[in-house]
Amino acid sequence: MGREIRICLVRALAASLVLEAMLAAAILFWPDFQANIPAILKMVPGKIMGGFVDAIVRGGASSYVVLQHFFKGCHMIGGATAILFASGAIAGESHRGTMEIWLARPVTRRRLLLERYALGAAAVAIPIFATSATIPWLCGFVREKVDLAPFLLGSAHESIFLLALYSLTFLFSALSSRPGPIAFGMMMFLALQFAFYLVMEATHASIFRFADLEDFLAILATGGLEWRVLLPLLLFSGACLYASLRVFARRVP
Amino acid sequence: MCSAHPVGILREAASPGHVESRGLTRRFGRTIAVHPFDLDLGPIEGRDGKAGAIIGLLGPNGSGKSTLLRMLLGLVRPDAGSARIDGVALEGDGTAVRRRATYAPGEIAMLGEMKGAEHLGWLLRGRERDASARATALAVELGLPLDARVRTYSHGMKRQLLLAAALAPRVRVRILDEATEGLDPSRRGEILRRLREDAAGGTTILLSSHHLGEVDRVCDVIVFMNQGRKIAQESALSLAERARRLVRLGFEEGADMRAVEAFFARQAGARVRIEGSRASVALEDGDPAAFLARALEARELPRPRAAQYGELSLAELYREIYGVEGC
Repeated sequence: MGREIRICLVRALAASLVLEAMLAAAILFWPDFQANIPAILKMVPGKIMGGFVDAIVRGGASSYVVLQHFFKGCHMIGGATAILFASGAIAGESHRGTMEIWLARPVTRRRLLLERYALGAAAVAIPIFATSATIPWLCGFVREKVDLAPFLLGSAHESIFLLALYSLTFLFSALSSRPGPIAFGMMMFLALQFAFYLVMEATHASIFRFADLEDFLAILATGGLEWRVLLPLLLFSGACLYASLRVFARRVP
Repeated sequence: MCSAHPVGILREAASPGHVESRGLTRRFGRTIAVHPFDLDLGPIEGRDGKAGAIIGLLGPNGSGKSTLLRMLLGLVRPDAGSARIDGVALEGDGTAVRRRATYAPGEIAMLGEMKGAEHLGWLLRGRERDASARATALAVELGLPLDARVRTYSHGMKRQLLLAAALAPRVRVRILDEATEGLDPSRRGEILRRLREDAAGGTTILLSSHHLGEVDRVCDVIVFMNQGRKIAQESALSLAERARRLVRLGFEEGADMRAVEAFFARQAGARVRIEGSRASVALEDGDPAAFLARALEARELPRPRAAQYGELSLAELYREIYGVEGC
């Protein structure tokens, strides 16, 4: 268990550092962005991107940080880490040939899989919460005052969204012996989904509608989570985990 | 040719240290890796009253040995049949069985980023607390650098690390797949000596190998597999005795081998196998020298070019009797 926890912490730390760097750069850029909003509005292409800038005009620094942190940083880095951590979780053992010694110990397969799932999910979620916790402190550098609570709620929403992506990739990992193609395929899927999101006619078909800017702005406005959106995501994650357990129970080392 | 109840094997049902299977079967697609497999093996009463045994599971590459061992431990789910290790039935994912038995896999793939000592601890997760200390002591005795990363280990060192982890826990059954593969002769001898000591202390060791000559000297019982089937199960003593009673004859090319076969088929207590211009005759009992002398005097038997008896290794014995190559 010690090895697994160490791997989880190292991964979480690495992802946190990248996210924090992106977040700090974005927040420090806020005064320049604010000063140039009229010019940016003229330049920005498409209704969706225009909607982003409109939301920032209405919501100020908090909306800007939500867009930069959750919609850009966490979707990009969090999505990539969710796919990378999950794709190798089971298939990686098979690929390295270590599946047999992993399973040969007197520990149930159910426990081994749940530990790996939970620690991987933690490595995805910890950076989101950890970096969100620094937002009020970073905003102080640009003389903005924001509350921590909505960002922690936003972190929960983003984490549940990424958990669904992680769980789907984890299921593929339980089925396969080749983590590389799983990671590549899921990255392509994610890129395609983001492209769908940016096209007005196809945006409703994108998974990013489950963690849309509007959802985060609603959290800022109401101070509560959007369970109508989150519940299906949690159910989907649960179904993927259950399927992974079933597949893993019969897996040949 | 399988003897149903090998000599010297204790017969109590579900008794300590027993490895039992009934109709254990596994398919991979259309290929039957292991045909319905029955085993009932366990400790043998020694002269000093202590019970323990080393059971050799032998067969050529691809004969289904590893699949059988994995099934016994619950690592591969059987398609049919049942198994019981040390009195515990194989159920679910086999965790209960793996608590009663240790396993050293044949495949050497390890977590290279770990140091040797840490890897031993990882391998022994779920075992009793002092198993790790015993494994460490054993690894040190074997000369393994436990503070070095496993990726720097040679093939043989990795094998010994796996064996140290498999030999440390206090269990009554150990299942070792290709335990001596990749070890140099002196190290192999050292490991086999330790296995012998372990068995003398009351442990049943199921030891698989595709190289009969490596393990035949330490095994009390040998189970021979080929193409997923058990083709023989005998005590090592009985096998050695049979090896001494095998007569091999070589004839000139073009000799009437049907006449040879017919001649030996008429002899009481003799079983003949013809391969090209060679005949192997397995005698159930009696003196092979006297049998050979009588045969050479018989007019209906073509004159052999060469004759041999009493000098066969067990590997040769199996090749002669079953036509199985690769051991």
